[in-house]
Amino acid sequence: MSLTELANVLQASRLSHAIAKSNHLLIAALQIVHVLGITLLLASLCLITLRLWGLLLAQRSAAQVVREASGLLWLGVVLAITSGTFMFLGSPRHYVYNPAFEVKMTLLVLAIVAELMFLRAAAAGRLPRIALKLGAGLSFSLWLAVGVAGRAIGFV
Amino acid sequence: MWSLQPLAERLEQSDIGTAIAESRYAFPVIEGTHLLSLAISVGLIILIDLRLVGLLMRDVPARTLVAQLRPYALWGYAIVFISGVLLLWSEATSVIASPAWTFKWIFMALAGINALYFEFIVARRPLVDGDQGALPRDLKAAGLASMSLWTLVIVCGRLIAYLPRWP
Repeated sequence: MSLTELANVLQASRLSHAIAKSNHLLIAALQIVHVLGITLLLASLCLITLRLWGLLLAQRSAAQVVREASGLLWLGVVLAITSGTFMFLGSPRHYVYNPAFEVKMTLLVLAIVAELMFLRAAAAGRLPRIALKLGAGLSFSLWLAVGVAGRAIGFV
Repeated sequence: MWSLQPLAERLEQSDIGTAIAESRYAFPVIEGTHLLSLAISVGLIILIDLRLVGLLMRDVPARTLVAQLRPYALWGYAIVFISGVLLLWSEATSVIASPAWTFKWIFMALAGINALYFEFIVARRPLVDGDQGALPRDLKAAGLASMSLWTLVIVCGRLIAYLPRWP
């Protein structure tokens, strides 16, 4: 089944109709959860990045900071993805034809896979300092790029 | 609110206002900047609040975490504020007509007062100096108030587009 066919099937589903026909405040609520999820994700990632770059909490091991902030980071990811999924289901065809959406999904998959691998290695304290610095900068940029592509969906 | 309407009209029709509204890239870029810098800045404030409440890094002295995160949160907030002013400039009349905008300002003012109270009264007491682990109750209350108020600011900001006018 092609992506277009899948979008058609989803769009015809009851759930999709329910979301699309619901009060517009439901969509607003989903967007609010989306933004709050992004806030948790980016702030905890910012804390981790600052620590790995040696800019704060020097008395605490980098591995420990990574372990402590990871929970909030993934909570943010789960909130953003769950709310995002319902936003998508409300009008799948609107999204699959949008090039910015395609870019965002590609970057999102990359960011999640990279983050899982990187945080696991960093929390175990297995990486040399230079790899920690590079990895932190890269994963932070990747998530920012996901955000930029996401913001672009509404404008292309 | 109605007294602001003529000023809003003048802002929106000014050269800068129309330039932002009519440019293909300016508005999306400024809006994206507003959103991402708010996620980082307000998010860092919420991390500090979680420490005050006792849900994050309880064995790091609260004073240390506040001092080390404050510059990033404040610089980020400057970017949020400037990008917010530019967004307002380009669509002032519709923004100020929304009740969500009024409430956003009320919650921002309360969060600001709470932060000043925390910085200049609560956190200055010698009692807090050697603090580890659980904190005095009014520090916890300040943290809880701060994260609730900032969350409400985000909620109201997002609602501006959905609640265009007072009922």
